[in-house]
Amino acid sequence: MMRLSAFQFPKTFLGFLPLYIAVEIVLGITIFNKCSGVYGILAIFTGHPLDFMQGVSYLWSILTLIVYVQGMYEILKPTLLTFSQILVFYSIDTVLTCFFTLWFTNVWFTEEAASDQSGAATASTKSKRGEDRASQGATEAYEYGMTMLITWVTLVFRLYFNFILASFVKELLSNPKFMIDQDDVAQDLKNKPLYKRWWIKCQKQSYKLCRRMLA
Amino acid sequence: MSGFIYRWFLADRPANSKVSELETSWDIRQSLAKLRNYQPTTKDVCHYGFLCSVLLFVFVAFPAPWLLKLFVYALFGLLFLIPITSQFFFNALPIFTWLALYFTSSYFSAGSRPPITVKVLPAIETILYGDNLSDILATSTNSFYDILAWIPYGLFHFGAPFVVAAILFVFGPPTILQGYAFAFGYMNLFGVITQNIFPAAPPWYKIMYGLNSAHYGMHGSPGGLARIDKLLHINIYTQGFSNSSVIFGAFPSLHSGCATMEALFFSYCFPRLRPLFIAYVCWLWWSTMYLTHHYFVDLMLGSVLSYTIFQYTRYTHLPVVDTDLFCRWSYGAIEKFNIAKNDPLSTEPSDVENVPLTTMNFATPTPPSELSDDDDVVASRSASPYIFDRTTSSATSNTSLDLQGEATPRAVKPRFD
Repeated sequence: MMRLSAFQFPKTFLGFLPLYIAVEIVLGITIFNKCSGVYGILAIFTGHPLDFMQGVSYLWSILTLIVYVQGMYEILKPTLLTFSQILVFYSIDTVLTCFFTLWFTNVWFTEEAASDQSGAATASTKSKRGEDRASQGATEAYEYGMTMLITWVTLVFRLYFNFILASFVKELLSNPKFMIDQDDVAQDLKNKPLYKRWWIKCQKQSYKLCRRMLA
Repeated sequence: MSGFIYRWFLADRPANSKVSELETSWDIRQSLAKLRNYQPTTKDVCHYGFLCSVLLFVFVAFPAPWLLKLFVYALFGLLFLIPITSQFFFNALPIFTWLALYFTSSYFSAGSRPPITVKVLPAIETILYGDNLSDILATSTNSFYDILAWIPYGLFHFGAPFVVAAILFVFGPPTILQGYAFAFGYMNLFGVITQNIFPAAPPWYKIMYGLNSAHYGMHGSPGGLARIDKLLHINIYTQGFSNSSVIFGAFPSLHSGCATMEALFFSYCFPRLRPLFIAYVCWLWWSTMYLTHHYFVDLMLGSVLSYTIFQYTRYTHLPVVDTDLFCRWSYGAIEKFNIAKNDPLSTEPSDVENVPLTTMNFATPTPPSELSDDDDVVASRSASPYIFDRTTSSATSNTSLDLQGEATPRAVKPRFD
């Protein structure tokens, strides 16, 4: 597996802010966005049709929402286990977001092409409004350009945010203050419910992965 | 009455504490003297420069008699100069700038406005969030949901900023209201600027007109609020939204921005009630989509704008909250957040735990010498556990399982036992 330890990660946010403030902003913005999963899944109750890929993306959003929320409580006193898990989920999330973006872009443009064909009859009413009024609406090229611009900007930001998180975890790994005493976790586990044991196992695996890649 | 006020608000007041006191002077000379000695920082120049340029634009663009405009600006100038009014009015300058620009927005000529987009928002919504979330939530409607959606969207939204300001003033630390006015004003100001630069049609437009292009002559629609008008036998929302000045101002949602800002400030002051404030924001988000007034992406931009401005304000302006104190009069001093001191990654050179791993010389561990307070001895002693941590057998003291066989960070921890 490729080691990222030699990679030059950003040491500050936008060149001047400390990393913990960056992580707080990154997690906050991502958490807001991940709420989409909760509203999307409500389609089950409202009766709106929901296809398989939407369902997967909404459930994934809800899972990542829970993972990211943990980090918000630990910004000033971070632990390696939590932030390793956040980084691993965020990185998987970045890959999945790229995939979902491609998938749903295809869905949108297919839908739009279909609605354009059915809306062909309205073209005559459009021209009746006159040249001046017609020019007040955006052209197809402008609409398309803006859509692509916003999509690309969000993806680029997402990638940058991913690096910020990786940088933060790398700093945590190199700082002895945050070293993990694994026995503390192991002793605690015995009387915990299954999902908690599973959760901590997931955190430990994430931690090991991060160590291998970043330390 | 005064006894009640004293018992509730002033009983905990620290002796000689002046931080919670308000300015009571009417003397303009006091403000002028301050102005003469004022040394603006780069931040101040950017802040006032930006607000002044917006106000100058409004002064030129607002279609009213020049004399009247001059009179209003002079009146505000006077309010800024009188110390007793200045403490409130001057600190609310970003809010006034936003309101000025907002009310001017409706007078821009259609020819000078950017083109209206009708496809960008639903496209972005589908691309980023899988579907049109407003469509999902507005699929089935009933009177109960209508009322539930109307409460935060049509009622609370308009009163909440004032209620929040009043509560923050009384129960928050002194000067927090300044921070609130700054953050709230800037968030709305940036929001209105974006709405004007990037006019976009709300979800009701797609329901009514499909993806056909729009023009500025069109009337607005109350969306789902038309059902409230019908239910309550009123005509407020249908009339209000039909003649709205910002029909195509869907992006960003300032409903979402305001609710987020209020929730952030309240969570900052009253952290124990945070779930309640989060619930309010989620409720308002649902209602804006249910009423087909905003796409989810609008709500996101509003909230992200609020969150970013709040974080900036929090780290640069806001006083630190002491949750043990009851109200503004209980504070003896105002503390600001120290960014460097609170950095969890910051390394105090005096703390032996923070000796960077890379600088440790693991190859030549020196045996521990006698205990001494000498710094050199501490450094050599800190390397001593190296011998034990490197052994793979009976490593009862080494709990970092996965670190075995490597130079472990534990090696730098001092052992005094």
